[in-house]
Amino acid sequence: MSLSKLLENPRVWRGSSRTDRRTGLASGYPALDRCLPGGGWPQETLTEILIGQYGMGELRLLVPALAELSAENALSHHGEPTEPGWIAWVAPPFQPYAPALQQCGIDLSRMLVVRPKDDSELLWSAEQALSSGTCAAVLLWPEVLDDQASRRLQLAAEKGHSWAIAFRPLSARHQPSAAALRLELQSTGQGTHVHILKSRGGRPTVLNNLL
Amino acid sequence: MSRAWKSPVALRDTAPTLSGSQQSLPFTEPLPPPQALSLTPTPVRRLWFCIYLPNLPLEACRTSDEALAIVEEQHGIYRVLQTDSLAAAAGVMPGQSSNAALALLPTLKLEERSPVREQQLLERLATWLERFSSFVSIASKDVLLLEIAGSLRLFGGLPKLRQAIAQGLDEQGFSTAMAIAPTPLGATCLARAGRRVCIRAEENLASALRALPLDCLHWPEGQRAALAGMGIKHIGDCLRLPREGFARRFGAERLLELDRALGHLPDPRDSWRAPERFCADFEMSEEQSDRELLLNICHELLLSHEQFLLARQLGTQRLCFSFFHLKGPATELWLGSALADRSATRWFDLLKIRFDTLRLQAAVIAVRLRSGLSQPLQAETGKLGFYLKDGKQRRRYSIAQLAERLIARIGDQSVNTMNIVAEHRPEYAFCLQHPLSDWSVTTLASSSDLQRPLWMLPEPALLPADGAYPLHKGCRLTLLDGPERLETGWWDERGVSRDYYTALNGAGMRLWIFRNRQRKPDWYLHGIFG
Repeated sequence: MSLSKLLENPRVWRGSSRTDRRTGLASGYPALDRCLPGGGWPQETLTEILIGQYGMGELRLLVPALAELSAENALSHHGEPTEPGWIAWVAPPFQPYAPALQQCGIDLSRMLVVRPKDDSELLWSAEQALSSGTCAAVLLWPEVLDDQASRRLQLAAEKGHSWAIAFRPLSARHQPSAAALRLELQSTGQGTHVHILKSRGGRPTVLNNLL
Repeated sequence: MSRAWKSPVALRDTAPTLSGSQQSLPFTEPLPPPQALSLTPTPVRRLWFCIYLPNLPLEACRTSDEALAIVEEQHGIYRVLQTDSLAAAAGVMPGQSSNAALALLPTLKLEERSPVREQQLLERLATWLERFSSFVSIASKDVLLLEIAGSLRLFGGLPKLRQAIAQGLDEQGFSTAMAIAPTPLGATCLARAGRRVCIRAEENLASALRALPLDCLHWPEGQRAALAGMGIKHIGDCLRLPREGFARRFGAERLLELDRALGHLPDPRDSWRAPERFCADFEMSEEQSDRELLLNICHELLLSHEQFLLARQLGTQRLCFSFFHLKGPATELWLGSALADRSATRWFDLLKIRFDTLRLQAAVIAVRLRSGLSQPLQAETGKLGFYLKDGKQRRRYSIAQLAERLIARIGDQSVNTMNIVAEHRPEYAFCLQHPLSDWSVTTLASSSDLQRPLWMLPEPALLPADGAYPLHKGCRLTLLDGPERLETGWWDERGVSRDYYTALNGAGMRLWIFRNRQRKPDWYLHGIFG
């Protein structure tokens, strides 16, 4: 079998094929952007952020990108102007504090907070929000997220051209996941380190004292 | 009326006989009579479409395909009033006693006549007919009248309109007699006599009515018998009688009725107005617990709801389904929508989401759909089907629809939008809004120099303290920033006096804590800088 024939097989995945096609959403942290393929948060995918506890800077990491998404006249990653998207918060552990969000430049009129009763409703709501095509980003805090659920979120994000961000405990590190990007936040007294555990089209890295 | 504008003319005629002082007045041309327009209205040609439903008692009670006869109590005996074709084929005839009918056809189903159901059916039909005319009238217990002169142009002419109405009635399973005439009573007589005619010109009406039997006027039995005894069998015979004598013997009312039928006198009618709120029931002959079937029934109801609102150009934001059980209270299911809507498909989508989780404690015997307050529908701009380069449609549904779906599944209180409030107390500086009720957001200018956390605790949490130092998860907090003193709210019950600090715990979490200055100087955790 010749090599060219082998490469036509859809099961063969080539690392270089997708990276340059998609450009990411600038994260507001140049050091992080440099490590991410596409120079920013990968869109239309699932991103997982693993945290040991709440309040380690996981929101600060995202806020510049969310502000960009909710802003008027935002440019999509295709470069065309788009309508500002909604940002859905599904099962946040605390109340997202509106005055602080506004200080960060996030348009409050485009926030939707959803508080489902259990995990199945949580996944259903997140999937609905992702695939609706109106939400630019969907943040979710699931209790558990198995491989199948993460795949569904990934598909829903692709379908609705949205961005799913799941916050998970550190114990999820060794569970398989369909996420395109997995980050782990580690906090010390000095600052927060960001470990890129998995990055589709990129490579694992450690960024010290990013936040 | 005409006398009113003639009076100035009469004055001028008598002017020369008046006294001298008045004569010396310069003669002025009397004002021309006010425009005749307002006084003698130009006659509007009206055309009345009459629908006579002779089999209404039968149709109101029909629920299955079995042979059916409607009985009515007459002098203590139940007698057959109407039969369907199956019963008639077996020899059951109107006028027979119910026992005789049962002897002829033992499987015959007997139903007592129900005027209430007939009226409901008639009202339903009148509501349906409102799509053809702005003036529908329920003339009597089996006659509906539509004024169609104003509708002809819209529906593309009389034949098309007649066709549309006849077809619709046929599809709904009504046997009808229809006639069109320039007067309501004339049309009614023609329809009752079974003449499928269309008389457009008033001059042709008299000759058509003359030939009709007197029965179609539904006069009292005694008068009809008296007239028959005189050899008067047709309306034409009546009209030939001297008016004075006729009025004396049969009452002026009868004479007026004839005049109205012929169009010599005006015949005002009441216009039927359907209730502004939709409420419809679907009753089943036996209890059902098949959810698929119940969903289908709900869909039927939603379709008629859509038609109801469409006729009024209205939409609604709330719907309520009631599922009635034989015992116990009905199960209610409320649906809400962000924007007023009437589309059955959209409501049905929402219903399906809710219906999955609805628990019915017993089988259902009837379903009722009530609509909430209706409001004029905000028309949406039609969208052209633009597709993205990759051929996928970007937007599946709007945020309002998304919120509706989420609310339908996980509950009313679980979906919120948020806004800020001009308030110094941090816990009152924001508010949650219901996404279906209020989309408007007033953005206040924020004071950006004050540090605020991204996460807010629902209630300030008391922190243990080691002497004067607050503890979090067992270790001392390092105060980074502060204090920021907030002392406000003295005018209501919930006044605060606090010193806020930003603190760092051992694990690197940045916390927003405060010390109460009022009673005990305790430390509280209020937020987390996420």
